[in-house]
Amino acid sequence: MKRFLLCPLIGAILFGMLLSCSEEQDFTQFDDLSITPTVASGIFYLESDEETINNVPAGPFYDQTVNFDAFNEEFVAERLLEGTITYEIENTTSKRLEVTIEFLDEGGNVLDTEFFDIDPNLPETYTREVTYGPTGKSLNILAATDGLRISGNNQSDTTSVSPDSEPKVILRSAAEFLFRLK
Amino acid sequence: MKRIRLFFFIALLGGTSIYAQNRQLLYDFYEIPQSLMVNPGVKTSEKWHTGIPFISGLAFQGGTSGVTVNDLFANDGIDFTTKVRERVLDAMSHRDDFSTTSQIDGFNVGFRSGNRPDDYYSFGVYGETDIIVYWPKDLAILGFEGNGGANIGRNFDLGDVSLRGEMVNVFHFGINRKISNTLTVGGRAKLYSSVFQFQSINNSGSFRTTQGQDNIYVSTITADMQLRSAGAKEILDILFDDTRSARKELPPLFAKRVLLGGNLGLGFDAGFSYNLNLQTTITASVLDVGFIYQSKDVQNYTLRGSASTEGITVFLPEDINNVNNDLWQDLVDDIEESIPYEENQESYISLRPVKAYGSIRYDFGAGGLGFDNCGCAVNGRGGSNSDFYPNSLGGQLYMIKRPRGIQAALTGFYQRRFGRTLSLKGTYTIDKYSFTNVGLGLNLQAGPINFYVLADNLLSYRNIANSHYASLQFGFNIISWNGN
Repeated sequence: MKRFLLCPLIGAILFGMLLSCSEEQDFTQFDDLSITPTVASGIFYLESDEETINNVPAGPFYDQTVNFDAFNEEFVAERLLEGTITYEIENTTSKRLEVTIEFLDEGGNVLDTEFFDIDPNLPETYTREVTYGPTGKSLNILAATDGLRISGNNQSDTTSVSPDSEPKVILRSAAEFLFRLK
Repeated sequence: MKRIRLFFFIALLGGTSIYAQNRQLLYDFYEIPQSLMVNPGVKTSEKWHTGIPFISGLAFQGGTSGVTVNDLFANDGIDFTTKVRERVLDAMSHRDDFSTTSQIDGFNVGFRSGNRPDDYYSFGVYGETDIIVYWPKDLAILGFEGNGGANIGRNFDLGDVSLRGEMVNVFHFGINRKISNTLTVGGRAKLYSSVFQFQSINNSGSFRTTQGQDNIYVSTITADMQLRSAGAKEILDILFDDTRSARKELPPLFAKRVLLGGNLGLGFDAGFSYNLNLQTTITASVLDVGFIYQSKDVQNYTLRGSASTEGITVFLPEDINNVNNDLWQDLVDDIEESIPYEENQESYISLRPVKAYGSIRYDFGAGGLGFDNCGCAVNGRGGSNSDFYPNSLGGQLYMIKRPRGIQAALTGFYQRRFGRTLSLKGTYTIDKYSFTNVGLGLNLQAGPINFYVLADNLLSYRNIANSHYASLQFGFNIISWNGN
């Protein structure tokens, strides 16, 4: 009698374990996973006081080419989707200034240029957002960029002095870009 | 042979979707000899037992306290990325984990001392694999969303990285002694032979991007992180080197390490059973109080330091003469120097995950069960209480030391014995994985042949893919209740 009861019981337990139910699963959905993080970072910061500008002849007071291959790395370049480079400029000096940022490829050729004509004694921070991607400039500019040439030009005299206690020109820049990791 | 292979295959399949080391069904199920492995002080009645090699005790457990397979992969028409965001990123915390444990008895033998019938000796070998990975919530969000947009100002905790895993072979010898009619105590010495071990625990640090002091953004990282491993490098080298044959090289490597050729360690278990009165028994045990000295094939990785950057910065007139055009590369180099990623081969000690059980059992019901004629030397005579009660009701507490603290589980159980032949145990367990964990255990004694099967979280079998927790244990033994 016991065996009569036990066999079905054991069978039922094993049957239940081995043939337990499961809703239909579709593991190919993983292919549809989209991972697109937004990465933000400061790029370049330039600060100069008025005295430095006055100490050199009118014209260029700063001219520097720096390597910049952050977007040029293969891993990054292949995954760039869109983004923005933000520039902020403050000018409390008495000078009219021109700031130029040139994006250079590996051979030193200019791929793109951002030009800023800056009034003296700017009352507030000037902000420019440059969009790259489908609704803006070509991402190929960034993907090919190997260096930046930053130059500052004094379009005024070299004697005037701002009434501001610490007259300066400041260029800030930062990037915020969307990448496709998967 | 085909059937045995099929048996293993089915067992492994059953073990792929399951959790935890809690063996609440086996605990204090003293009709099963393997209950000595979770309480060396459990009551023993048999004269001797021997497990059938490699199938005397198999336990597979695994699971997740967070998302289930069904949550993500059910064919429900919902966009997969949306499911990941809502059910993983938004729902899971850094305390959620994915874990798996499996244990296979190589052999398990026990016998009662001829000179001291109150002593029951048991020894054997079992292999155990235990892996736990906590959900690295902040790093997952950083990878999924990035540090920009709404995450400007957010602090990403690098301490969310926490994982530990090992495969170990355990040689053990235990003594179970009946001190009196009310008290049984036991201890088990263990020699660990590690196949591999890895751990990345007690990490700390953060990554944060905020409004900069000078530039628009400043990104700051502080890290004190490490991953330690022993025995893993050689295995990975074999697996990922196309010129080497895993099929040829791995089996002898595993065999060597299983047989004391790897890193070694020591540990012990201890436990007792005490009858408060004829019908009430309390028990407790502590398992795997031990360590392994990891000195062979060690490979450790560290990331320690802090760095902060606002990008390339030029201050005039201070930098007027700095005409270096490698400013960006210098910046990258400075960051790497401030927070170096390093490797070393320093030995370390890994602690085994200590487990503790406690229980109280109330026996009741009428009717002798036939144990009084079993001929066993100790508990068959002398009024051991529960032999005369077919029913048991009680509660159990289980705790395990995990990287993020102690995990506990509370179990209520009912056990029914049908003579010596059959015993059933039902459990209800609550823990971080499930509030609906109903388990059922069966022990069948057909002559000298003993078979047991214990299955957890039976309700989840309605949709196993949606289970947070499940386990399956079973085994065969030969038990003698007399001198033959």
